[in-house]
Amino acid sequence: MKVSDLKELMIRSLDKETDPSASAREIENAGAVFGFSERFTDKVLDKVFSDSSAVVRKIEFVRDLNNVFYRIALSGIAAIVLLLISLFIMEGSFSLNSFLGLGDRYDETILCLLTGN
Amino acid sequence: MESYRKKGDDELVRASLEGDKNAFGEIVNRYQGMVARTVKGMLGDSVYTEDIGQEVFIKLYHSLPEFRGEAKLSTYIQKIAINLTLNEIKRRKRFFSMFAQKGNSEMHEIEVADHESEEKRDAREVVSKALMSLDPKFRVIVAMRMLQGYSTKETAEILDLPLGTVLSRLSRAQEHLKNILDKL
Repeated sequence: MKVSDLKELMIRSLDKETDPSASAREIENAGAVFGFSERFTDKVLDKVFSDSSAVVRKIEFVRDLNNVFYRIALSGIAAIVLLLISLFIMEGSFSLNSFLGLGDRYDETILCLLTGN
Repeated sequence: MESYRKKGDDELVRASLEGDKNAFGEIVNRYQGMVARTVKGMLGDSVYTEDIGQEVFIKLYHSLPEFRGEAKLSTYIQKIAINLTLNEIKRRKRFFSMFAQKGNSEMHEIEVADHESEEKRDAREVVSKALMSLDPKFRVIVAMRMLQGYSTKETAEILDLPLGTVLSRLSRAQEHLKNILDKL
């Protein structure tokens, strides 16, 4: 079919009186065929049915992450307890200053600078 | 796969829901042409449209449990295809408005098959270019009528639009199309 005829057919296909399915067939016969590649179905099926295995992998990853988190958290708690024990042994009490690593004495130069006395 | 070809849509949907890969494969085979006409008609005949086509069927598979069979499966798929395509048009417009000059928002690449005759390639190019020159709200209606052969009533049902709106858009689209085709 000539391009000019195809253009005419395209315009005519939008007429109210034209049978749309017949004109769509004519346009298709003229060569306006739109399709996907040959392996389209396989690609879709691969994606659809590998999705569920991807979900399983994701769940497994989250579970592994949880296990790792518990191990790190337990090690952290153990380290804190050890630190507290060592502080208690060294300082003989659990005062705020010993927690913060501060001495019991004030630095008077700062007080002088702030108050001017 | 031969036995699946004889099965009706309802049977294929039921089997797909039970995880039958071949049944869903038959649905894809049966309706990929229809989806290609919608997606390529509205987005242009480029290789990138195949991803949207795949997305249509992936979305269909995940929404099959909600498909109650009140509408035809083809209508259901068509609606998914139109929604995803319109979303893609919006996405492309947003992207090109940020990164490119005005008027470049639609791609006009034509996918060329080696075995295809020049006449057929020209025909596809004319149809594709004409459709891509239309505003998306006209394009969807023209693509459905010109490429899918849907009646005005069917188009109105699929697009959830009043019949009068479809008729007036069709008439305005025809005017636009005449001007576009004169320049091509």
